[in-house]
Amino acid sequence: MKQFAIVIDLDRCIGCRAGCQVACKMENDIGLGKSRSVLHTITYGKYPDQHMYYIPVMCQQCEDPACVNVCPTGACYKSDEDGVVYIDKEACIGCQSCRKACPYDAENFNKELRVMDKCIICSHLREKDEKPACVSLCPGNAIYFGDVNDPESEVSKLLAANEGHVYSLNNDAGTNPSGRFILRKDEWIDPFKK
Amino acid sequence: MENIFEKINITNLQDAIGDWTAFSACEPYEVDLDGEEQIITTCCRACIANCGVKAHVKNGRVIKLEGNPDDPMSQGKLCSKGLSGIAALYHPNRNKYPLIRVGERGSGKWRRISWDQAMDVIGNKLMQVRKDYGAETVFCTTGGGGNPAIWSISRFANIFGTPNWFEPGCAQCYLPRVSACNMIYGGQDTSIADSKAKDLYDADNCPTKTLVLWGTDPSNSCTASGGRMVNELRARGTKTVVIDPRFTPDAAKADVWLPIRPGTDVALMLCWMNYIIENKKYDAEFVLKWTNLPYLVDLDTKYCLRAKDADGNEKTGPDGFMVFDKKTNSIQELSYPWDDSLDVDIFGEYEIDGKLYKTAGQILKERVAEFTLERTGEICCLEPERIKKALDLYLAEKPSAICLGVATDQTPNSFQAAHAADMIDMLVGNIEKPGTSLQNFPTSAVLHGATNPVPMAPTKLPPEQLPKRLGGVEHKGLGMWHAGQPAAVLDAILTGKPYKPRVWIDRSGNKMAVLGDGNKWEKAIHELDFIIHMYMYPTSFSAYADVLLPITEWLETNLIVEICNTLVARQRVAHVWETKDETVVWSNMAKKCAQLGHEGCQKAFDAEYMGSDLPYWEDETELFDTVLKPINMNWEEFTKAGYYEFMPKDEWKTYDTYMQTGNDGKLKGFNTPSKKLELYCDRLITLARTGKPYLPFPMPPASKDYDPLPYYMEPFEGPVNDVETTKEYPLTMTNGRVPFFHHSTLRNIPRLREMYPVPEIWINTDKAAELGIESGKWVWVESKRGKVRAKAVATENIGPNTVWMERFWFPETLNTETHGWKESNVSVLAKSEGPYNDILGTYTLRAYQVKVYNADSAPEGIWTEPADFKKWLPGGKF
Repeated sequence: MKQFAIVIDLDRCIGCRAGCQVACKMENDIGLGKSRSVLHTITYGKYPDQHMYYIPVMCQQCEDPACVNVCPTGACYKSDEDGVVYIDKEACIGCQSCRKACPYDAENFNKELRVMDKCIICSHLREKDEKPACVSLCPGNAIYFGDVNDPESEVSKLLAANEGHVYSLNNDAGTNPSGRFILRKDEWIDPFKK
Repeated sequence: MENIFEKINITNLQDAIGDWTAFSACEPYEVDLDGEEQIITTCCRACIANCGVKAHVKNGRVIKLEGNPDDPMSQGKLCSKGLSGIAALYHPNRNKYPLIRVGERGSGKWRRISWDQAMDVIGNKLMQVRKDYGAETVFCTTGGGGNPAIWSISRFANIFGTPNWFEPGCAQCYLPRVSACNMIYGGQDTSIADSKAKDLYDADNCPTKTLVLWGTDPSNSCTASGGRMVNELRARGTKTVVIDPRFTPDAAKADVWLPIRPGTDVALMLCWMNYIIENKKYDAEFVLKWTNLPYLVDLDTKYCLRAKDADGNEKTGPDGFMVFDKKTNSIQELSYPWDDSLDVDIFGEYEIDGKLYKTAGQILKERVAEFTLERTGEICCLEPERIKKALDLYLAEKPSAICLGVATDQTPNSFQAAHAADMIDMLVGNIEKPGTSLQNFPTSAVLHGATNPVPMAPTKLPPEQLPKRLGGVEHKGLGMWHAGQPAAVLDAILTGKPYKPRVWIDRSGNKMAVLGDGNKWEKAIHELDFIIHMYMYPTSFSAYADVLLPITEWLETNLIVEICNTLVARQRVAHVWETKDETVVWSNMAKKCAQLGHEGCQKAFDAEYMGSDLPYWEDETELFDTVLKPINMNWEEFTKAGYYEFMPKDEWKTYDTYMQTGNDGKLKGFNTPSKKLELYCDRLITLARTGKPYLPFPMPPASKDYDPLPYYMEPFEGPVNDVETTKEYPLTMTNGRVPFFHHSTLRNIPRLREMYPVPEIWINTDKAAELGIESGKWVWVESKRGKVRAKAVATENIGPNTVWMERFWFPETLNTETHGWKESNVSVLAKSEGPYNDILGTYTLRAYQVKVYNADSAPEGIWTEPADFKKWLPGGKF
């Protein structure tokens, strides 16, 4: 089965929020105060030998998504075609169960429309053979997307080339996130691991 | 103050009196309703980079911006500032029509007038003041973010007859780096944010081993162009050294970070030179043959010793410099470029006929000797081992490159920092090689200084006006851009000496947010008779204006832009309201003055008289048609093509230009009178005494000569020089960019303000604990000159004795007593008093003392929640 996901090279992320937030919000008409991704700043160590890096977190397109499991109407579903978790906005009743279930704070509630909103890796652009907004705009060239189950995909090759430096977010909830992070220069600190 | 408005007869006008928002009901007037979505190629100007943009336009409205992958500098990327172009264009609080003040200054009461009426008011006022007090009492300013028509301001000033224009970018930002590089090298400077260091952008072919980012943070300041480029180099294995008091994104990714004490950069630069000389890490062959360090210096005159010609006059040009030949134990005249029969040392002192001579290299060696690793560590608050680690990385393998940022331009040691930084690269031979930042790639020769199509027309300033330039005699380096000194203008307004400036014409983001010591400027403003502000939207400065002129946003602007080996069209993709291109507004003002009898302005429309300075234009495209003639295109053809490659990339990337053979059959050398790199720049003495090479005729000497070599100047208000002040104000202030704003711009963009709603002040974690300050709480930040509030961030990302804060103003409190600039504007704390940089008149915007203590509350009326910014959303999709 295909599993599309976002892969981020954290050594390339310069924390500017231009691609993962501003471009994403413009492309997807996201309202003020909402975002499909959150930028986590990781710091450790004492001045002047401290470390700092950024982790942009959007939907991790989990293999066993908690949001899908808790959705009372079936509005939140995982597609067989690309493995992406979608929300059928007609069927969504805005109960926000998915938001509460998501271990990565990756779901947004759209107050105006009273429906949930999340990263679907810009499916409308992928349909036109274009890249997601964050991927094409990210000034650091840090964000990649593709089928992590296809060993021939660009992202799989990238991950293979960085073996030993690939991380996923905390899986204590057992959701098996598909998103991957590459980090060579710093120590991996999971923002969701308490 | 004279009431100018009584004389104005305003008829047939919409009776719209009120604040700026009164006009927001109108719709854009140029609408193409055929419904086809067009993609128009243009380039951004949300900062001073020019990132390639593909603008999607439908029904006359811009609906989407994409990066242009063909742009060699941004390669398809845009930053959050650039992406805000649509929100800026359709902002409900744009300046939409010319407005004239009808209430008290600062009351926010305005009346709409036509452009013709605005020009009538302005022209009559300018001519009256010129008649009553002299043209020099009018001064013009620009700056504050991507000012596309920078030379238009200088041009208008010259033609109107005032020697006084300035932008903070002269003395405080960039001119130090431009002028130092121009004096000692004649090639391009290394500023990443100013789109220089062009060789580094071709990352796949860039062999830079170590890149030193000195006082620059491209990830923040020019994310999509320079920030992207540095990131690509890092990904390909280039090592980086970051020298910055603040742990920036680039510092976090650096191999060595040097958290230097603000304002001490020149000490560190002298230390690097000392280390390079002591450890013989310089490129001896290059330094001997291509710099002036082996030349003998007359210690009395401080000039390089010159041979005399048959008439007994000192030789000029590249020949006739004197060196000491060890073979013959005598002084010998050197023929350009070099004489292999001579045996010459770079360092040495020689007594000849009872008189002591030193090589320029020897003087440098003695100058830098005290700056050992240990001593410099003490000055700069750095561990000596850490300095050495950075140096060893820089020196390990060539090519390396230093890119100097704006940090050093904001202290009085500005010119010397730029001079010294270039010298380091030159000593080790990091110049005009693949992968170095110092390069002399060809330019198109279409634009002036490769930056702007508008000729500055400096020779059109009447000769009797030049000596009246405020600060111009003391700080003659400003002559490179034909500018005055901001602090001298301020002083003249407040003291009336040597004369009182009366009219201020400004095109800036927000002068109140960026000028040092804003409280003093506010006092000065109340002394002025008349103030004109032209900009895209109202800023704090507008509150003090008498006339407001609506100016085009970059998406409405036409301009010819040079990017690497191409000329690119920034072209108008939409147009709203009655905004005008400022290149035209300055021309319109000159035209009105011409009609009212100004002889200089009348002649400025005469093609024959103007010659290469070109006659004024009705429309900017008229100018562009003329300027584009060398490439056999007119503006319309050029915009259809979108860009023009003036030279193939491989040919354009020309290295070792000094080794090319010139028309005289000799090696071309560098673009200096000696054709060598003039590290020992005795021409600075001449500059101080006469104004040469920048001024058209000699001026009286400055009060002291400028030093031919860089020297260290301890921060005047700091822990070493001012112990008393430091007791009360123990923390040293530094500034530096966040990725969401450029200078004072874009604080009115909802999607940027929701990410960075209020200014932060960074304070070291331990220091914050000591002071009882908590992250997220409001604090007062106070200097001897004023106090403002900011939100505290306790962090390891700043040293224990330093704080970081960036300029800020609140458009939402524009119509209150603060006019948005008094609450949280770090520039209020900065200094406008001396000491100034001797050559350029730079004052102190960074590296002064403050104290930080808890505040009870946030400033009144400011917006902090995302929903607050809804009022600034344009209608429809953006």
